[in-house]
Amino acid sequence: MFRAILYTQWKWSRFPLLLGVLVGFALPILSVQRVSGVTGYWQTRTMLASVQAWGILYPIVGTGLALLVGALAWSADHRGRHVYALSLPLPRWHYTLLRFGAGLVLLAAPVMAVWIGGLLATATVTIPTGLHAYPTMLATRFALAVFVTYALFFAMSAGTVRIAGYVLGALAFVLVVEVIANAAGAHVSLLEQIFIGLVVWPGPLDVLTGRWMLIDV
Amino acid sequence: MSSAIEIRDLHYRAGKAFEIRDLALNVPTGSMYGFLGPNGSGKTTTIRLLLGLLRPLQGTITVLGGSIPREAPRVLARTGYVPEQPHLYPSLTVAEALHFHAAFYPTWDWKWADELALQFQLDRGRLLSRLSKGEMGKLEMLLALAQRPELLVLDEPTDGLDPVVRRDVLTSVLDYVSQQNATVFISSHLVHELERICDWVGVMDRGRLVAELPMHSFKNGIKRLRVLNAPALAGDTPFVVLSRDAANGSAETWVVRGWQPPMSQWFTGVGATLKEVIDLDLEEGFVELLRTFRVPQA
Repeated sequence: MFRAILYTQWKWSRFPLLLGVLVGFALPILSVQRVSGVTGYWQTRTMLASVQAWGILYPIVGTGLALLVGALAWSADHRGRHVYALSLPLPRWHYTLLRFGAGLVLLAAPVMAVWIGGLLATATVTIPTGLHAYPTMLATRFALAVFVTYALFFAMSAGTVRIAGYVLGALAFVLVVEVIANAAGAHVSLLEQIFIGLVVWPGPLDVLTGRWMLIDV
Repeated sequence: MSSAIEIRDLHYRAGKAFEIRDLALNVPTGSMYGFLGPNGSGKTTTIRLLLGLLRPLQGTITVLGGSIPREAPRVLARTGYVPEQPHLYPSLTVAEALHFHAAFYPTWDWKWADELALQFQLDRGRLLSRLSKGEMGKLEMLLALAQRPELLVLDEPTDGLDPVVRRDVLTSVLDYVSQQNATVFISSHLVHELERICDWVGVMDRGRLVAELPMHSFKNGIKRLRVLNAPALAGDTPFVVLSRDAANGSAETWVVRGWQPPMSQWFTGVGATLKEVIDLDLEEGFVELLRTFRVPQA
Protein backbone atom coordinates (compact mmCIF):
# COMPACT_ATOMS: atom_id res chain seq x y z
CA MET A 1 0.00 0.00 0.00
CA PHE A 2 2.74 2.40 0.99
CA ARG A 3 4.62 1.73 -2.24
CA ALA A 4 1.48 2.52 -4.25
CA ILE A 5 0.91 5.77 -2.37
CA LEU A 6 4.60 6.66 -2.65
CA TYR A 7 4.51 6.09 -6.39
CA THR A 8 1.52 8.40 -6.92
CA GLN A 9 3.09 11.11 -4.81
CA TRP A 10 6.39 10.75 -6.66
CA LYS A 11 4.53 11.12 -9.94
CA TRP A 12 2.77 14.27 -8.80
CA SER A 13 5.76 15.99 -7.21
CA ARG A 14 8.72 14.65 -9.16
CA PHE A 15 9.56 17.91 -10.98
CA PRO A 16 9.84 20.15 -7.89
CA LEU A 17 11.63 17.31 -6.11
CA LEU A 18 14.24 16.86 -8.85
CA LEU A 19 14.76 20.62 -8.91
CA GLY A 20 15.07 20.54 -5.12
CA VAL A 21 17.69 17.80 -5.33
CA LEU A 22 19.70 19.77 -7.90
CA VAL A 23 19.50 23.03 -5.96
CA GLY A 24 20.15 21.25 -2.66
CA PHE A 25 23.28 19.66 -4.09
CA ALA A 26 24.51 22.84 -5.77
CA LEU A 27 23.90 25.25 -2.88
CA PRO A 28 26.73 24.04 -0.57
CA ILE A 29 29.15 23.82 -3.51
CA LEU A 30 28.33 27.35 -4.66
CA SER A 31 28.51 28.71 -1.11
CA VAL A 32 32.18 27.69 -0.62
CA GLN A 33 33.52 29.18 -3.85
CA ARG A 34 35.38 31.93 -1.96
CA VAL A 35 36.75 29.72 0.82
CA SER A 36 40.05 28.50 -0.66
CA GLY A 37 43.07 30.71 -0.19
CA VAL A 38 41.43 32.92 2.40
CA THR A 39 43.89 34.39 4.90
CA GLY A 40 43.66 37.12 7.45
CA TYR A 41 40.83 38.42 9.57
CA TRP A 42 39.04 40.59 7.01
CA GLN A 43 39.16 38.03 4.21
CA THR A 44 37.81 35.41 6.59
CA ARG A 45 35.00 37.75 7.67
CA THR A 46 34.10 38.45 4.04
CA MET A 47 34.15 34.75 3.26
CA LEU A 48 31.88 33.98 6.23
CA ALA A 49 29.50 36.75 5.15
CA SER A 50 29.35 35.13 1.71
CA VAL A 51 28.64 31.68 3.21
CA GLN A 52 25.94 33.28 5.37
CA ALA A 53 24.39 35.02 2.37
CA TRP A 54 24.16 31.71 0.52
CA GLY A 55 22.70 30.21 3.72
CA ILE A 56 19.57 32.34 3.40
CA LEU A 57 18.59 30.13 0.47
CA TYR A 58 18.41 26.89 2.52
CA PRO A 59 15.21 27.74 4.45
CA ILE A 60 13.72 29.31 1.32
CA VAL A 61 14.39 26.20 -0.78
CA GLY A 62 13.26 23.93 2.06
CA THR A 63 10.01 25.83 2.63
CA GLY A 64 9.26 25.98 -1.08
CA LEU A 65 9.79 22.25 -1.45
CA ALA A 66 7.72 21.48 1.62
CA LEU A 67 4.92 23.70 0.34
CA LEU A 68 4.83 22.00 -3.06
CA VAL A 69 5.13 18.43 -1.80
CA GLY A 70 2.57 19.08 0.96
CA ALA A 71 0.06 20.65 -1.41
CA LEU A 72 0.58 18.08 -4.18
CA ALA A 73 0.00 15.23 -1.73
CA TRP A 74 -3.68 16.20 -1.59
CA SER A 75 -4.41 18.01 -4.84
CA ALA A 76 -5.57 14.91 -6.77
CA ASP A 77 -7.82 13.84 -3.89
CA HIS A 78 -9.25 17.35 -3.64
CA ARG A 79 -10.06 17.27 -7.36
CA GLY A 80 -11.96 14.00 -6.93
CA ARG A 81 -13.64 15.32 -3.75
CA HIS A 82 -11.87 12.55 -1.81
CA VAL A 83 -14.32 9.92 -3.06
CA TYR A 84 -11.55 7.56 -4.20
CA ALA A 85 -9.54 7.87 -1.02
CA LEU A 86 -12.60 7.37 1.16
CA SER A 87 -13.75 4.34 -0.80
CA LEU A 88 -10.43 2.53 -0.31
CA PRO A 89 -10.54 -0.16 2.36
CA LEU A 90 -8.49 1.50 5.05
CA PRO A 91 -9.27 3.91 7.88
CA ARG A 92 -8.96 7.62 7.14
CA TRP A 93 -6.13 8.10 9.64
CA HIS A 94 -4.19 5.28 7.97
CA TYR A 95 -4.56 6.80 4.52
CA THR A 96 -3.48 10.22 5.83
CA LEU A 97 -0.48 8.66 7.54
CA LEU A 98 0.54 6.88 4.33
CA ARG A 99 0.31 10.10 2.34
CA PHE A 100 2.26 11.98 5.02
CA GLY A 101 4.92 9.28 5.22
CA ALA A 102 5.30 9.18 1.44
CA GLY A 103 5.96 12.92 1.39
CA LEU A 104 8.58 12.55 4.12
CA VAL A 105 10.35 9.78 2.22
CA LEU A 106 10.41 11.86 -0.96
CA LEU A 107 11.71 14.92 0.87
CA ALA A 108 14.61 12.85 2.16
CA ALA A 109 16.09 13.09 -1.35
CA PRO A 110 16.80 16.86 -1.30
CA VAL A 111 17.98 16.53 2.31
CA MET A 112 20.48 13.88 1.19
CA ALA A 113 21.47 16.14 -1.70
CA VAL A 114 22.26 18.96 0.74
CA TRP A 115 24.27 16.58 2.91
CA ILE A 116 26.25 15.05 0.03
CA GLY A 117 26.73 18.47 -1.55
CA GLY A 118 27.97 19.81 1.79
CA LEU A 119 30.39 16.91 2.30
CA LEU A 120 31.72 17.29 -1.22
CA ALA A 121 31.99 21.06 -0.99
CA THR A 122 33.86 21.08 2.31
CA ALA A 123 36.17 18.24 1.20
CA THR A 124 37.29 20.11 -1.89
CA VAL A 125 38.30 23.41 -0.25
CA THR A 126 40.93 24.35 2.29
CA ILE A 127 39.15 25.70 5.32
CA PRO A 128 41.05 28.52 7.10
CA THR A 129 42.48 27.75 10.52
CA GLY A 130 40.01 28.24 13.33
CA LEU A 131 36.97 27.56 11.14
CA HIS A 132 35.09 24.27 10.87
CA ALA A 133 32.80 22.61 8.36
CA TYR A 134 29.32 21.53 9.47
CA PRO A 135 27.83 19.58 6.53
CA THR A 136 26.01 17.07 8.73
CA MET A 137 24.66 19.73 11.08
CA LEU A 138 23.50 21.82 8.12
CA ALA A 139 21.79 18.84 6.48
CA THR A 140 20.16 17.89 9.80
CA ARG A 141 18.85 21.41 10.23
CA PHE A 142 17.65 21.47 6.62
CA ALA A 143 15.87 18.16 7.25
CA LEU A 144 14.21 19.53 10.37
CA ALA A 145 13.12 22.70 8.57
CA VAL A 146 11.78 20.77 5.59
CA PHE A 147 9.93 18.21 7.73
CA VAL A 148 8.39 20.80 10.07
CA THR A 149 7.17 23.04 7.25
CA TYR A 150 6.03 19.99 5.27
CA ALA A 151 3.95 18.84 8.25
CA LEU A 152 2.42 22.31 8.47
CA PHE A 153 1.60 22.59 4.77
CA PHE A 154 0.43 18.98 4.61
CA ALA A 155 -2.03 19.64 7.43
CA MET A 156 -3.18 22.91 5.89
CA SER A 157 -3.71 21.46 2.43
CA ALA A 158 -5.50 18.42 3.87
CA GLY A 159 -8.29 20.71 4.99
CA THR A 160 -11.33 21.49 2.91
CA VAL A 161 -12.06 24.86 1.32
CA ARG A 162 -14.40 25.49 4.25
CA ILE A 163 -11.57 25.01 6.76
CA ALA A 164 -9.31 27.29 4.71
CA GLY A 165 -12.14 29.81 4.84
CA TYR A 166 -12.34 29.51 8.64
CA VAL A 167 -8.57 30.08 8.98
CA LEU A 168 -8.62 33.10 6.65
CA GLY A 169 -11.75 34.38 8.39
CA ALA A 170 -10.06 34.10 11.79
CA LEU A 171 -7.01 35.99 10.50
CA ALA A 172 -9.24 38.67 8.98
CA PHE A 173 -11.08 38.96 12.29
CA VAL A 174 -7.79 39.41 14.17
CA LEU A 175 -6.75 42.06 11.64
CA VAL A 176 -10.03 43.94 12.01
CA VAL A 177 -9.79 43.83 15.83
CA GLU A 178 -6.23 45.15 15.60
CA VAL A 179 -7.19 48.00 13.26
CA ILE A 180 -10.19 49.00 15.41
CA ALA A 181 -8.17 48.78 18.64
CA ASN A 182 -5.36 50.87 17.20
CA ALA A 183 -7.83 53.42 15.84
CA ALA A 184 -9.29 53.67 19.35
CA GLY A 185 -5.85 54.45 20.73
CA ALA A 186 -5.00 51.08 22.29
CA HIS A 187 -1.73 49.60 21.09
CA VAL A 188 -2.59 46.06 20.06
CA SER A 189 -0.38 43.96 17.81
CA LEU A 190 -2.08 40.57 17.62
CA LEU A 191 -0.71 39.60 14.20
CA GLU A 192 2.80 40.46 15.30
CA GLN A 193 2.33 38.32 18.40
CA ILE A 194 1.09 35.43 16.27
CA PHE A 195 4.08 35.79 13.95
CA ILE A 196 6.51 35.93 16.89
CA GLY A 197 4.78 32.92 18.43
CA LEU A 198 5.47 30.96 15.24
CA VAL A 199 9.04 31.96 14.44
CA VAL A 200 10.59 32.52 17.89
CA TRP A 201 11.46 29.53 20.07
CA PRO A 202 9.50 27.45 21.03
CA GLY A 203 7.53 28.36 17.90
CA PRO A 204 7.58 25.61 15.25
CA LEU A 205 9.15 27.82 12.57
CA ASP A 206 12.09 28.91 14.72
CA VAL A 207 14.12 26.31 12.82
CA LEU A 208 13.93 28.49 9.70
CA THR A 209 15.48 31.55 11.30
CA GLY A 210 19.06 32.29 12.37
CA ARG A 211 22.28 31.68 10.46
CA TRP A 212 22.60 28.70 8.13
CA MET A 213 26.37 28.19 7.99
CA LEU A 214 28.16 25.38 6.20
CA ILE A 215 31.46 26.77 7.49
CA ASP A 216 31.64 28.65 10.75
CA VAL A 217 33.85 29.20 13.76
CA MET B 1 -33.20 -14.65 3.82
CA SER B 2 -29.99 -12.86 4.80
CA SER B 3 -29.29 -9.28 3.80
CA ALA B 4 -26.20 -7.90 2.11
CA ILE B 5 -27.34 -4.37 2.94
CA GLU B 6 -29.70 -3.41 5.71
CA ILE B 7 -30.57 0.20 6.53
CA ARG B 8 -32.85 1.18 9.40
CA ASP B 9 -34.28 4.59 10.37
CA LEU B 10 -31.58 6.44 8.50
CA HIS B 11 -31.54 10.19 8.75
CA TYR B 12 -29.11 12.45 6.94
CA ARG B 13 -29.22 16.12 6.11
CA ALA B 14 -27.15 17.94 3.50
CA GLY B 15 -27.71 21.65 3.99
CA LYS B 16 -31.23 23.01 4.30
CA ALA B 17 -32.49 21.88 0.94
CA PHE B 18 -32.10 18.12 1.10
CA GLU B 19 -32.52 15.38 3.63
CA ILE B 20 -33.00 11.67 3.82
CA ARG B 21 -35.67 10.74 6.35
CA ASP B 22 -36.49 7.44 8.03
CA LEU B 23 -34.90 5.41 5.27
CA ALA B 24 -35.28 1.65 5.65
CA LEU B 25 -33.84 -0.55 2.94
CA ASN B 26 -33.10 -4.23 2.63
CA VAL B 27 -30.99 -5.81 -0.11
CA PRO B 28 -31.14 -9.63 -0.04
CA THR B 29 -27.83 -11.45 -0.40
CA GLY B 30 -27.25 -12.62 -3.94
CA SER B 31 -29.84 -10.30 -5.44
CA MET B 32 -29.51 -7.71 -8.17
CA TYR B 33 -31.14 -4.71 -6.58
CA GLY B 34 -32.13 -1.84 -8.83
CA PHE B 35 -32.17 1.48 -7.01
CA LEU B 36 -34.42 3.75 -9.01
CA GLY B 37 -35.18 7.38 -8.65
CA PRO B 38 -35.16 10.66 -10.52
CA ASN B 39 -32.11 12.93 -10.44
CA GLY B 40 -31.67 14.50 -7.02
CA SER B 41 -33.82 11.91 -5.25
CA GLY B 42 -31.00 10.85 -2.90
CA LYS B 43 -29.63 7.75 -4.60
CA THR B 44 -25.99 8.84 -4.62
CA THR B 45 -26.24 10.16 -1.06
CA THR B 46 -27.69 6.85 0.11
CA ILE B 47 -24.87 4.98 -1.62
CA ARG B 48 -22.24 7.20 -0.02
CA LEU B 49 -23.88 6.65 3.36
CA LEU B 50 -23.90 2.88 3.00
CA LEU B 51 -20.22 2.87 2.04
CA GLY B 52 -19.28 5.07 4.99
CA LEU B 53 -18.25 8.01 2.82
CA LEU B 54 -20.81 10.15 4.64
CA ARG B 55 -21.88 9.99 8.29
CA PRO B 56 -25.61 9.72 9.06
CA LEU B 57 -27.27 11.83 11.74
CA GLN B 58 -29.03 8.72 13.02
CA GLY B 59 -29.97 5.20 12.05
CA THR B 60 -28.10 1.97 11.47
CA ILE B 61 -26.41 0.68 8.34
CA THR B 62 -25.20 -2.89 8.08
CA VAL B 63 -23.33 -4.01 4.97
CA LEU B 64 -22.05 -7.59 4.57
CA GLY B 65 -22.61 -8.05 8.29
CA GLY B 66 -20.44 -5.08 9.24
CA SER B 67 -21.69 -1.91 10.88
CA ILE B 68 -21.10 1.25 8.86
CA PRO B 69 -19.20 3.53 9.35
CA ARG B 70 -17.42 1.71 12.22
CA GLU B 71 -16.41 -1.31 10.17
CA ALA B 72 -16.23 0.46 6.82
CA PRO B 73 -12.64 -0.55 5.91
CA ARG B 74 -13.41 -4.25 6.43
CA VAL B 75 -16.61 -3.94 4.39
CA LEU B 76 -14.98 -1.86 1.64
CA ALA B 77 -12.34 -4.56 1.17
CA ARG B 78 -15.17 -6.86 0.04
CA THR B 79 -17.09 -4.26 -1.96
CA GLY B 80 -16.56 -3.04 -5.50
CA TYR B 81 -17.72 0.52 -6.05
CA VAL B 82 -18.29 2.41 -9.26
CA PRO B 83 -19.17 6.01 -8.43
CA GLU B 84 -21.40 8.34 -10.39
CA GLN B 85 -18.48 10.59 -11.41
CA PRO B 86 -15.05 9.25 -12.36
CA HIS B 87 -12.97 9.41 -9.19
CA LEU B 88 -9.58 8.03 -10.24
CA TYR B 89 -6.37 10.04 -10.43
CA PRO B 90 -6.25 11.51 -13.96
CA SER B 91 -2.45 11.87 -14.03
CA LEU B 92 -1.97 8.08 -13.84
CA THR B 93 -1.90 5.75 -16.81
CA VAL B 94 -4.30 2.82 -17.01
CA ALA B 95 -1.53 0.43 -15.91
CA GLU B 96 -0.58 2.68 -12.99
CA ALA B 97 -4.22 2.99 -11.92
CA LEU B 98 -4.53 -0.82 -11.94
CA HIS B 99 -1.38 -1.24 -9.82
CA PHE B 100 -2.47 1.48 -7.40
CA HIS B 101 -5.92 -0.03 -6.93
CA ALA B 102 -4.64 -3.61 -6.69
CA ALA B 103 -2.36 -2.67 -3.79
CA PHE B 104 -5.36 -2.11 -1.52
CA TYR B 105 -7.28 -5.31 -2.26
CA PRO B 106 -5.91 -8.67 -1.11
CA THR B 107 -8.45 -10.47 -3.31
CA TRP B 108 -7.32 -8.67 -6.48
CA ASP B 109 -7.30 -11.04 -9.46
CA TRP B 110 -4.60 -9.96 -11.93
CA LYS B 111 -5.45 -12.67 -14.42
CA TRP B 112 -9.01 -11.52 -14.66
CA ALA B 113 -8.01 -7.85 -14.65
CA ASP B 114 -5.82 -8.56 -17.70
CA GLU B 115 -8.67 -10.39 -19.41
CA LEU B 116 -11.08 -7.53 -18.73
CA ALA B 117 -8.55 -4.94 -19.94
CA LEU B 118 -8.25 -6.91 -23.17
CA GLN B 119 -12.00 -7.36 -23.46
CA PHE B 120 -12.62 -3.65 -22.84
CA GLN B 121 -9.78 -2.73 -25.23
CA LEU B 122 -8.12 -0.44 -22.70
CA ASP B 123 -4.70 0.93 -23.67
CA ARG B 124 -2.54 0.40 -20.58
CA GLY B 125 -0.14 3.20 -21.42
CA ARG B 126 -2.82 5.83 -21.81
CA LEU B 127 -3.27 8.60 -19.26
CA LEU B 128 -6.64 8.56 -17.52
CA SER B 129 -7.09 12.22 -18.40
CA ARG B 130 -7.01 11.16 -22.08
CA LEU B 131 -9.62 8.41 -21.78
CA SER B 132 -13.04 8.89 -23.30
CA LYS B 133 -16.08 8.72 -21.05
CA GLY B 134 -16.78 5.18 -22.24
CA GLU B 135 -13.21 4.02 -21.61
CA MET B 136 -13.26 5.58 -18.15
CA GLY B 137 -16.57 3.83 -17.40
CA LYS B 138 -15.06 0.51 -18.45
CA LEU B 139 -11.92 1.08 -16.38
CA GLU B 140 -14.01 1.90 -13.31
CA MET B 141 -15.95 -1.31 -13.84
CA LEU B 142 -12.75 -3.30 -14.34
CA LEU B 143 -11.34 -2.01 -11.04
CA ALA B 144 -14.54 -2.87 -9.20
CA LEU B 145 -14.75 -6.37 -10.67
CA ALA B 146 -11.10 -7.43 -10.53
CA GLN B 147 -11.04 -7.16 -6.76
CA ARG B 148 -13.54 -10.06 -6.71
CA PRO B 149 -16.07 -8.35 -4.47
CA GLU B 150 -18.95 -9.97 -2.64
CA LEU B 151 -20.96 -6.81 -3.17
CA LEU B 152 -20.96 -4.49 -6.17
CA VAL B 153 -22.26 -0.98 -5.61
CA LEU B 154 -22.78 0.74 -8.94
CA ASP B 155 -23.92 4.34 -8.99
CA GLU B 156 -25.31 5.15 -12.43
CA PRO B 157 -22.52 3.09 -14.03
CA THR B 158 -23.80 3.50 -17.58
CA ASP B 159 -24.95 7.10 -17.41
CA GLY B 160 -23.82 8.96 -20.53
CA LEU B 161 -22.28 5.88 -22.15
CA ASP B 162 -23.10 4.84 -25.69
CA PRO B 163 -25.20 1.68 -26.16
CA VAL B 164 -22.22 -0.50 -27.10
CA VAL B 165 -20.19 0.43 -24.02
CA ARG B 166 -23.30 0.18 -21.87
CA ARG B 167 -23.88 -3.35 -23.10
CA ASP B 168 -20.19 -4.27 -22.48
CA VAL B 169 -20.32 -2.92 -18.95
CA LEU B 170 -23.60 -4.57 -18.00
CA THR B 171 -22.57 -7.86 -19.60
CA SER B 172 -19.40 -7.93 -17.51
CA VAL B 173 -21.50 -7.40 -14.37
CA LEU B 174 -23.91 -10.17 -15.32
CA ASP B 175 -21.01 -12.54 -16.11
CA TYR B 176 -19.48 -11.83 -12.73
CA VAL B 177 -22.75 -12.33 -10.86
CA SER B 178 -23.37 -15.63 -12.62
CA GLN B 179 -19.89 -16.84 -11.60
CA GLN B 180 -19.70 -15.54 -8.04
CA ASN B 181 -23.27 -15.19 -6.80
CA ALA B 182 -22.37 -11.68 -5.67
CA THR B 183 -24.90 -9.08 -4.61
CA VAL B 184 -25.32 -6.08 -6.91
CA PHE B 185 -26.75 -2.77 -5.85
CA ILE B 186 -27.19 -0.67 -8.95
CA SER B 187 -28.65 2.79 -9.07
CA SER B 188 -29.99 4.36 -12.21
CA HIS B 189 -32.63 6.63 -13.57
CA LEU B 190 -32.63 4.59 -16.79
CA VAL B 191 -35.53 2.39 -15.80
CA HIS B 192 -35.58 0.12 -18.85
CA GLU B 193 -31.93 -0.76 -18.20
CA LEU B 194 -32.68 -2.23 -14.79
CA GLU B 195 -35.87 -3.91 -15.90
CA ARG B 196 -34.09 -6.76 -17.64
CA ILE B 197 -31.31 -7.41 -15.11
CA CYS B 198 -32.67 -6.75 -11.60
CA ASP B 199 -34.70 -9.06 -9.40
CA TRP B 200 -35.41 -6.48 -6.70
CA VAL B 201 -36.26 -2.84 -7.03
CA GLY B 202 -36.27 0.10 -4.63
CA VAL B 203 -37.67 3.45 -5.66
CA MET B 204 -36.36 6.62 -4.10
CA ASP B 205 -37.90 10.05 -4.34
CA ARG B 206 -37.11 13.26 -2.46
CA GLY B 207 -35.01 11.49 0.12
CA ARG B 208 -37.58 8.77 0.87
CA LEU B 209 -37.95 5.18 -0.21
CA VAL B 210 -41.28 5.06 -2.00
CA ALA B 211 -41.34 1.35 -2.74
CA GLU B 212 -39.21 -1.75 -2.28
CA LEU B 213 -40.34 -5.06 -3.72
CA PRO B 214 -39.30 -7.94 -5.99
CA MET B 215 -39.11 -6.88 -9.62
CA HIS B 216 -41.79 -9.34 -10.74
CA SER B 217 -44.22 -7.91 -8.17
CA PHE B 218 -43.41 -4.41 -9.30
CA LYS B 219 -43.81 -5.21 -12.96
CA ASN B 220 -46.84 -7.45 -12.64
CA GLY B 221 -48.52 -5.64 -9.80
CA ILE B 222 -48.92 -2.25 -11.46
CA LYS B 223 -51.67 -2.18 -14.06
CA ARG B 224 -53.70 0.33 -15.98
CA LEU B 225 -57.43 -0.48 -15.83
CA ARG B 226 -60.23 0.80 -18.04
CA VAL B 227 -63.32 1.01 -15.86
CA LEU B 228 -66.91 1.87 -16.80
CA ASN B 229 -69.33 3.39 -14.27
CA ALA B 230 -66.69 3.58 -11.59
CA PRO B 231 -67.96 4.54 -8.13
CA ALA B 232 -67.22 8.12 -7.05
CA LEU B 233 -65.44 6.82 -3.97
CA ALA B 234 -63.39 3.69 -4.41
CA GLY B 235 -63.68 2.74 -0.72
CA ASP B 236 -62.02 -0.50 0.37
CA THR B 237 -60.22 -1.86 -2.67
CA PRO B 238 -58.19 -5.08 -2.57
CA PHE B 239 -55.51 -3.21 -4.55
CA VAL B 240 -53.88 0.22 -4.14
CA VAL B 241 -55.30 2.89 -6.42
CA LEU B 242 -52.39 5.03 -7.55
CA SER B 243 -54.38 7.32 -9.80
CA ARG B 244 -57.71 7.62 -11.57
CA ASP B 245 -58.41 9.85 -14.53
CA ALA B 246 -61.61 10.44 -16.46
CA ALA B 247 -61.55 9.05 -19.99
CA ASN B 248 -64.48 9.21 -22.50
CA GLY B 249 -68.00 9.44 -21.10
CA SER B 250 -68.46 7.20 -18.08
CA ALA B 251 -65.10 5.53 -18.60
CA GLU B 252 -62.15 6.05 -16.28
CA THR B 253 -58.53 5.00 -16.36
CA TRP B 254 -57.15 3.69 -13.11
CA VAL B 255 -53.56 2.90 -12.29
CA VAL B 256 -53.40 0.33 -9.49
CA ARG B 257 -50.73 -1.50 -7.56
CA GLY B 258 -50.90 -5.00 -6.11
CA TRP B 259 -53.19 -6.24 -8.85
CA GLN B 260 -54.15 -9.88 -9.21
CA PRO B 261 -56.69 -11.24 -11.73
CA PRO B 262 -59.31 -12.43 -9.15
CA MET B 263 -59.62 -8.83 -7.99
CA SER B 264 -61.73 -8.04 -11.07
CA GLN B 265 -64.68 -9.39 -9.02
CA TRP B 266 -64.51 -6.31 -6.86
CA PHE B 267 -65.72 -4.11 -9.75
CA THR B 268 -68.82 -6.23 -10.21
CA GLY B 269 -69.53 -5.88 -6.50
CA VAL B 270 -69.57 -2.08 -6.70
CA GLY B 271 -71.60 -1.91 -9.91
CA ALA B 272 -68.73 -1.02 -12.19
CA THR B 273 -67.41 -2.84 -15.23
CA LEU B 274 -63.79 -3.67 -15.78
CA LYS B 275 -63.27 -3.36 -19.54
CA GLU B 276 -59.55 -3.88 -19.87
CA VAL B 277 -56.41 -4.65 -17.87
CA ILE B 278 -53.25 -3.23 -19.43
CA ASP B 279 -49.73 -4.25 -18.43
CA LEU B 280 -47.37 -1.38 -17.70
CA ASP B 281 -43.67 -1.69 -18.27
CA LEU B 282 -41.34 -0.75 -15.45
CA GLU B 283 -40.83 2.78 -16.69
CA GLU B 284 -44.56 3.51 -16.85
CA GLY B 285 -45.05 1.93 -13.43
CA PHE B 286 -42.17 3.96 -12.07
CA VAL B 287 -43.59 7.21 -13.44
CA GLU B 288 -47.06 6.45 -12.07
CA LEU B 289 -45.61 5.55 -8.70
CA LEU B 290 -43.71 8.81 -8.46
CA ARG B 291 -46.71 10.78 -9.68
CA THR B 292 -48.95 9.39 -6.98
CA PHE B 293 -46.29 9.76 -4.34
CA ARG B 294 -45.85 13.43 -5.17
CA VAL B 295 -49.58 14.25 -5.42
CA PRO B 296 -51.32 12.64 -2.46
CA GLN B 297 -54.82 11.29 -3.11
CA ALA B 298 -57.63 13.38 -1.61
